[in-house]
Amino acid sequence: MLRRHWLLAVVSFTAAVFSLDALWIPVKAELAQHLLERAWLRTLAGEPDAKPWPWADTRAVAVLEVPRLGLREIVLEGSSGRNLAFGPTLVNSGRLELSSDRILSGHRDTHFSFLRELKTGDLLRLRTVNEIRDYRVSWQEAVDSRGQQLVIDDRIDRLTLLTCYPFDAAMPGGPLRWVVTALPES
Amino acid sequence: MPMPSNVKPVSKLPQPDSIRDELEKQAWIQNPKLANRLNNRRVDGQHHNTSCSESARRIKSWQDRTLLVIIAVLLVLLVIRAETAIAVEQEWGLQMTSDSGVFTELAIDTNIRLDITGLVARVEITQQFTNNGNHWAEGIYRFPLPGGAAVDRMRIKVGERVLEGEIQEKESARLSYQKALEAGQTATIVEQQRRNQFETRLANIGPGESIEITIGYLQNVSYSDFSYHLRLPMTFTPRWEPGRLSAGEPASAQSPAPRLIPAGSATGHRLKLQAKLVSSAKFAAIESRYHDVDIRQVDNGYTIDLLNPDELSDRDFELSWTPALQSQPSASLTTFNDGESVYAQLMLAPPLAESVAPQAREVVLIIDTSGSMEGASLAQAKAALLHALKSLGNDEYFNLLQFNSHTEQLFDQSVQVSQSSLYVAQNFITGLHANGGTDMAPALRTALTLPEIPQLMRQVVFITDGAVGNETELLQKVAQDLGDSRMFTVAIGHAPNSWFMRKAAEIGRGSYVHIAKPDEVEEQMSALWGRIQLPALTDICVDWGTSAEYYPEVIPDLYAGEPLWLLARLPSEPAIVGLCGNLNGLDWNLHVNGWDAVGSAPGEDNLAKLWARKKIEALEDSLMFGTDPELTRLEITSLALDYGLLTRHTSLVAVDKTPRRENGESLALTDIPGLLPAGNSTKLTGYPKTATGWLAQLLLSVFVLLLATSMLLFSGNRLPMTKTAVVP
Repeated sequence: MLRRHWLLAVVSFTAAVFSLDALWIPVKAELAQHLLERAWLRTLAGEPDAKPWPWADTRAVAVLEVPRLGLREIVLEGSSGRNLAFGPTLVNSGRLELSSDRILSGHRDTHFSFLRELKTGDLLRLRTVNEIRDYRVSWQEAVDSRGQQLVIDDRIDRLTLLTCYPFDAAMPGGPLRWVVTALPES
Repeated sequence: MPMPSNVKPVSKLPQPDSIRDELEKQAWIQNPKLANRLNNRRVDGQHHNTSCSESARRIKSWQDRTLLVIIAVLLVLLVIRAETAIAVEQEWGLQMTSDSGVFTELAIDTNIRLDITGLVARVEITQQFTNNGNHWAEGIYRFPLPGGAAVDRMRIKVGERVLEGEIQEKESARLSYQKALEAGQTATIVEQQRRNQFETRLANIGPGESIEITIGYLQNVSYSDFSYHLRLPMTFTPRWEPGRLSAGEPASAQSPAPRLIPAGSATGHRLKLQAKLVSSAKFAAIESRYHDVDIRQVDNGYTIDLLNPDELSDRDFELSWTPALQSQPSASLTTFNDGESVYAQLMLAPPLAESVAPQAREVVLIIDTSGSMEGASLAQAKAALLHALKSLGNDEYFNLLQFNSHTEQLFDQSVQVSQSSLYVAQNFITGLHANGGTDMAPALRTALTLPEIPQLMRQVVFITDGAVGNETELLQKVAQDLGDSRMFTVAIGHAPNSWFMRKAAEIGRGSYVHIAKPDEVEEQMSALWGRIQLPALTDICVDWGTSAEYYPEVIPDLYAGEPLWLLARLPSEPAIVGLCGNLNGLDWNLHVNGWDAVGSAPGEDNLAKLWARKKIEALEDSLMFGTDPELTRLEITSLALDYGLLTRHTSLVAVDKTPRRENGESLALTDIPGLLPAGNSTKLTGYPKTATGWLAQLLLSVFVLLLATSMLLFSGNRLPMTKTAVVP
């Protein structure tokens, strides 16, 4: 009897730790955006390398807005797993200003969960330090990341949002990606 | 265990199962009150019976089983990872929509023209289709493109109508598009909306009408195992789409009636292929892997044709060719004269590996351990480092540096490879973890300015994801401190800063590899090592005899097994091209006579276009070093229009050129001028992992938590209620 109580207690404790660990992900995603918002303001004010927190290895490079859904997300530089926890990230490394084929990726269950609600024709607004560009969603599709690589072609002017697919899959790490392509509004 | 409510419980008790029960029974008989008290205590669960009753045992095993399930679930949580869904198949070919449904038509004939110049292949594919339905249809043509290719040549013939593409400056392309629309013509700006795929829409295809689609694009030739390879996918197999609609498109009302294409009725789906290999050098072998071909040597290279005139387009076409090597480096020159300038291609083939004396080297490995490298990137970088250590020879020297916000070097001075030094290095690598910022400059400076060891050639191998903001400054530092060292870059992760890495290798006269996935470490590092272990010809210089504009501007070393490719524009035909360098520690010279050069036929202007493409690349690169963006844009645009290249400032616009046939004029079709995409703008990268799975984890663990705690709470008065029948 006593042994079972112990086991149950250990199981409860572990489960509690796992719950907190899981909850921490959306909480962190939300908190980071607040810190990033402040870093973004500093960037706009002209600070060259405004770090959102002192030990950060990334910076805010743009703001993505979806007016129809009332969304605003600060985009980070460098699409590493660590950065993805804090916000959508720019896949093209460096030089956002010089690249016209812009790709943003985000977690399907935090910052980019709204992708499932996007419709063809939706307005996406990308603010960078120097400019504000409007794009319209023109194409959405699911692709298999095992069979192909992502082409970044700066001869083409477009914005691509990337996230994992299916949106409701219980387990992370699947091979499918949801790709939303938006072309500039002329 | 049903308990009697009267004073005579004895007879109701089924087989008593212990002495204790027997004693209790006796007590009940003697003192009914005691029996009641005992009973009450049992109900409270205070009485611990050594032998469990039937139902209690059942409950206990039920609880144990649940506990086991919970533990199993927790274990699953620990190792959460699964493949989620099935692949999405893409239909290629001409998909037609009419009143009778949606069907994909297979090309009747596929005609391919291949023009291979140096390391680039020009591919032109013409496919013919027929609308076999009895209704007018609307078509969508889809074609798979190799990574980095962009369609820059297009002509579509539907019955008598012709839609053809033309390179125009971006704004004017937009204007002609508008104008055509206003004039009631069909027009499209050809933009590759979707990645890796060409797609165009065609309206009003009459029943029985034939459609001819020609597209042209450029593809890079790959190099591995001492030969070149080019693969053309022939995925033009028919497949029925029972109502599958592309995501994002509004669902259409009509559901297509399934129509089957009889198996084995491939007659008519023929493949015709004509390939040309432009080179003045001899090849040791030219092979086609899946098709029988006829190979002929002609003036400026080779032609390759399919032997079987009725070949079917049911399998991929792969061509590979191997340069013939001699004991000395050999050069081959090809030229093209357009009347104004001469464009020249110089291929320098390395000597046989056996005739290269291995050069003593000092290898300095640098690893980036900044925060952005955390996780899979660092694991790949470590694997790459260990691979590099293993490949070092016994007489070679090495050193190891790691950097994040600080730089740490393993040895003050490079040490000779030995068991003990390798052991120390392996321990150092295993202990690395990623954290902090990316301060690259001090690491580069330290590596490049280590005390020199006489007679040794220093090779710096730099492993990073290149997540830096001050690339230009860093590149300038590399150029400044490089001296006689060579720099090789290994890009890690799905989206490294490939521009910076490629440029650093270019300035460092080395080469660049990209490891995107963990399973590529072995392959890519072996490729890099195979390349840099045997530097055949170093410090190469070229004298074109006149003022020449050539690319690459910094000539890299020639390594055993991989030829060097230079493109130049000269004011006139070259008389003599002089080459010099250092071969096995000795001075080496070679003169190529201009009249030995093989000229391209008029019209075969690939050399001119490839040169222009290299020049545009260089112009785009110069932007990073602070050239005026507006001037550069103008320069690129004018080059692109002159040479017919697709760039970020020019587009391919296609206008329906169907003449108004009132005066019965016949259709005059002019071929589109040769067009090539330009710029180094295409890059390939992997797809980032973009799911955390926090919701599933939360739900599961909360479920487990609730279950476990409720079991914990209820097990306090856990005994079965079936015993409650008590005397009042």
